[in-house]
Amino acid sequence: MVSRRNFLGRAGAVTAAVSAAAVSKVAMAALPEPVTQHSPDTMPPLVPERGRPYNPVVTLNGWTLPWRMNNGVKEFHLVAEPVVREMAPGFKAHLWGYNGQSPGPTIEVVEGDRVRVFVTNKLPEHTTVHWHGQRLPNGMDGVGGLTQPAIQPGKTFVYEFVARRPGTFMYHPHADEMVQMAMGMMGFWITHPKQKHPLIDEVDRDFVFLLNAYDIDPGAYTPKVMTMLDFNLWSWNSRVFPGIDTLNVRKNDKVRIRIGNLTMTNHPIHLHGHEFAVTGTDGGPTPKGTRWLEVTTDVAVGQMRQIEFRADEEGDWAFHCHKSHHTMNAMGHGVPTMIGVDHREVVSKITQLVPDYMVMGERGMADMAEMPMPLPDNTVPMMSGAGPFGSVEMGGMFTVLKVRRDQKPGDYGDPGWFDHPAGTVAYEWTGALATPARDRDPGRSAMPARNRPAREIEVQVRKPDRHGPH
Amino acid sequence: MTTPRHACAAAARGLPLVLASLALAGCASFSPDGGFDTVEQVAQERLGKDVVWARTAENQNRIDTRVAELLTRPLTVDDAVQVALLNNKGLQARFFELGIGEAELVQASRLPNPGISFGRLKRGDEIELERGYHLNLARLLAMPLVRQVEERRFAQTRGVVTLQLLSLASEARKAYFNAVAAEETVRYRRQVQQAAEAGAELARRMAEVGNFNKLQRLREQGFYADATLGMARAEHAALASRERLTRLMGLWGPQTRFQLPERLPDLPEAPTDQPEIERAALAQRLDVQGAKLAAEQTAKSLGLTRTTRFVNVLELGRAHNSSNEAPTQTGWELGLELPLFDWGGARVARAEAVYMQALSRAAETAVNARSEVREAYGAYRSAWDIARHHRDELVPLRQRIAEENVLRYNGMLIGVFELLAAARSQIAGVNACIESLRDFWLAQADLEMALIGKPGLSGAALALGSSPAAGDVGADH
Ligand SMILES: [Cu+2]
Repeated sequence: MVSRRNFLGRAGAVTAAVSAAAVSKVAMAALPEPVTQHSPDTMPPLVPERGRPYNPVVTLNGWTLPWRMNNGVKEFHLVAEPVVREMAPGFKAHLWGYNGQSPGPTIEVVEGDRVRVFVTNKLPEHTTVHWHGQRLPNGMDGVGGLTQPAIQPGKTFVYEFVARRPGTFMYHPHADEMVQMAMGMMGFWITHPKQKHPLIDEVDRDFVFLLNAYDIDPGAYTPKVMTMLDFNLWSWNSRVFPGIDTLNVRKNDKVRIRIGNLTMTNHPIHLHGHEFAVTGTDGGPTPKGTRWLEVTTDVAVGQMRQIEFRADEEGDWAFHCHKSHHTMNAMGHGVPTMIGVDHREVVSKITQLVPDYMVMGERGMADMAEMPMPLPDNTVPMMSGAGPFGSVEMGGMFTVLKVRRDQKPGDYGDPGWFDHPAGTVAYEWTGALATPARDRDPGRSAMPARNRPAREIEVQVRKPDRHGPH
Repeated sequence: MTTPRHACAAAARGLPLVLASLALAGCASFSPDGGFDTVEQVAQERLGKDVVWARTAENQNRIDTRVAELLTRPLTVDDAVQVALLNNKGLQARFFELGIGEAELVQASRLPNPGISFGRLKRGDEIELERGYHLNLARLLAMPLVRQVEERRFAQTRGVVTLQLLSLASEARKAYFNAVAAEETVRYRRQVQQAAEAGAELARRMAEVGNFNKLQRLREQGFYADATLGMARAEHAALASRERLTRLMGLWGPQTRFQLPERLPDLPEAPTDQPEIERAALAQRLDVQGAKLAAEQTAKSLGLTRTTRFVNVLELGRAHNSSNEAPTQTGWELGLELPLFDWGGARVARAEAVYMQALSRAAETAVNARSEVREAYGAYRSAWDIARHHRDELVPLRQRIAEENVLRYNGMLIGVFELLAAARSQIAGVNACIESLRDFWLAQADLEMALIGKPGLSGAALALGSSPAAGDVGADH
């Protein structure tokens, strides 16, 4: 969560990198000083002091890269390097990133800006940076071998182009791309409109994050770069719930959220309590006539979506990917389903051999979140997160949109749990229950069943039994 | 049996002439211990164990009391060896070979029975009475030599019996370690079986509520079936190894309910370093000593054969002829078989060949002894290293793997079946550790045996027992 300390100044968290290991100091002297971030907290927006004014974004559990002006050119310095990213409290990953973090810092410019980006490679292998979605000279596109030679370890390359169209972009390597993206090399790029744009509304809060995925064995630190689909950590900006900060807004704020997908599958991103419109894609702002309201939008691989809504409902609203496995942390996908299996007697036999054995999954997996049990080192529980009413039983791509009437403009701090007005929380029914009448022969007239199995298959379903052992 | 004094007196009365040669030969008698002292001494010195020769009821009682007392508590390895040495009937049977050997020695030391001939001849009215004493002179002359040979043979018998005793001790020690380890294995196998049983039971319930299909269920059932088989095998192995120990300890009836401890003795902190092991083996090994003895014996036998090649056809007698018509004739009579056809050359050649054979055998025994003791020491060292590796590396490692698996189970990263499989493999690891410890103790027993005789009794005993020289000397007379 964003703490007050972070608003007071960035000096503590942002430091100048003096250790330019393999990079010549003479060469560095002419470069903008590389700035490094070590905290995984959400940093406050970087309000521009020079250059064209714009309304800055907030990078979820991330930060925006400062720049310097050099004869009218905005100069940034990205340093590609190995980093340690705290993906959730108690769980750190060895990733590759930029300027101390993965994903790298968000780059914010204004339409028409001439931009010069110095890229220094401190990785053990060559790299490039591709400016995903930008209009630029072909030789600046950053495709190793195709448009430029790769940047060898220790070398610095310069990219220079004009940010021609406003919108939401990304940057990532286009050299040994599979490995470098699996290791976390990516970042956000925002080009703000130069002036009032008919399709781009002014907003009160503008959040950005990237969807990314890792496969890190529980207890290990480094992602398995060969994994294609069976990832076990589905993350936003290389963070997993409960490590993802909440989106804190003032009631009636106009909110924009920009999402880029650099995983290898699509993610239906879903917001509770509000309808939103997709106002921008990879190609820029969507025409007004194409916008319709929805509560879930699918962000396909390599795509960006910009959604907007008015936060006019107070409360703590879930905001997550709708693939339910993507709201879990590392788990065994081959673990058998134990629901309904009576463990009595067998347990004593097992505990003779495995004294620390505990029955789990007999009723479902909620036990997981209820009983904190020792886990392998450097592992977050597959589902956790304490809410005001108990465990939220989530992991991965999940966080909360907090809408409060008394949230100050520009305050991104966490207001705490929502104080529900009386009578607005679901409650337990204590009256009598009528037995519902059930149809025992569904579909009898519309589509009568043919080729029924010769023998009726019996399925027994165990229902919660108050007299059971649990 | 006649007393030695009696035998000697009879000879003196009959033939004063041979007194001189008798004095040379000495007067052999039965010793009070029957040659058992040496055997007992070896048991005391090399093994620190008592042996009793059950020649009398009183001795048998001593044995029975001691064995009964030892069997009241769980047996240590030393107890098991002690019981075997006291109670093994095969060993007692061997002890009686000492008696047989000594009897042969005494026999060889005695004078051959003189012969008497008596003739009554009638020529017309003349009756001639012919009386003669005669003695196998060759045997008499050879007596000191024969006695030496028999003495060596007796020493050899003592050697064989001693080796048998040491070997029995070694076998009992090995059988003991095998039996204890096998019982421990049964306990661990049972745990594996329980793990598999829990898995099978759980799988059955999983299938019952519809979470597992038949294939998955049968797979778990299969682990259980395998574990049951392993358990049956382990139980049989435990039975067989216990019975072997029972036989070596010579137990039967209620005695067979003897108790063994639950665990093997711990691995010693460090293995014994033995740089002079080859020299020690050559000095101590009974098969090496036996081979030397056999060579010496055949040398004597060769000498004897050479000496007696002519003499043994000589016969000396006292003639005493009386006739009713003439004065009694007395005098010496010498019979001589003319060695026209058999000069004894073939026998000498054979004896020579046998001697050379014995020399080669002795050399072979020494070479083998050196190699065997090196091998036994190497096996002992490796067994120690392996057992320590199991104890200090593999078992703790598997323990830690098991702990990590529980953590992974806690995080629902693996399921209960994987947890059970891991538990099975951890138990198997503990069992492999026990087996490595057993192998160490077996290797130690083999090394101890290799230092005093051929490891594995049968070979050593055969080399000594079938020494060709012994039979050869006996056959000459
Ligand atoms: Cu998803």
